[in-house]
Amino acid sequence: MARSTWKGPFVDGYLLKKADKARGGGRNEVIKTWSRRSTIFPQFVGLTFGVYNGHKFIPVLVNEHMIGHKLGEFAPTRTFHGHSADRKAKRES
Amino acid sequence: MPMARALSTVTTDPAEGVAQSARLCLGVVTGAQGVRGQVRIKSFTAEPNAIADYGPLEDERGTRRFELELVGEAKGVLIARIAGIADRNAAEGLKGLRLYVPRAALPATDPDEFYYADLVGLAAMLKDGSVFGTVAAVHDFGAGASLEIALPDGKSTIIPFTGAAVPVVDVAGGRIVVDPPHEEDVR
Repeated sequence: MARSTWKGPFVDGYLLKKADKARGGGRNEVIKTWSRRSTIFPQFVGLTFGVYNGHKFIPVLVNEHMIGHKLGEFAPTRTFHGHSADRKAKRES
Repeated sequence: MPMARALSTVTTDPAEGVAQSARLCLGVVTGAQGVRGQVRIKSFTAEPNAIADYGPLEDERGTRRFELELVGEAKGVLIARIAGIADRNAAEGLKGLRLYVPRAALPATDPDEFYYADLVGLAAMLKDGSVFGTVAAVHDFGAGASLEIALPDGKSTIIPFTGAAVPVVDVAGGRIVVDPPHEEDVR
């Protein structure tokens, strides 16, 4: 068994507490965090985190497919500025 | 999972937003391929092969039209044949040519889907009608789209592109209504 497996997924404790508190709150809330290293837990689903990328807080709307990934994976620190061409953005409800 | 998806950030000079919407750059000719007049094209579309799906392409001024036929791919570029280009010299002459389509050539979207080009440049208003800023960029890093709003004081802020944070998108009216989410710091 890999060492990381028996240790379990890592998450900063304060983020977990904040998420538990925020789940009862309003939907239009962004939890700003610097904790890019935290694993996305099932209880984060539906919340929006503002994950710091060294420059700005990138909104990360958590869904069930993201569980097990780190928050930092969704807020890249280097961005490629491309062309819009035919790209579409979907507004989440 | 997230990195497998194309990460994208699109920025445009907000002042050019409307003009950008009228004509969209879908790709650029990067050089000639072989001796039979084929060209190498770098595609900017979400699906690279979709560059040929929107009808004839035009040059920057809209004076020349190009019928594109894709014949293959190579190292991040598409190989294509252009009607009327039959030899390498003619193909080399097109190097650097940017290929455009009219915005009207793109198909209609679903009700909650918007082309990036339509969003960039829209005025962002608050619910009370006061000016909040201008949409400067659209980001999608695999966790839902977000809008970067350029504020009047020169700074910018990023808000999630959700129904709660952006309740109204009025592309025809050139504006969106923004309800900036409550932000809470966690350290």
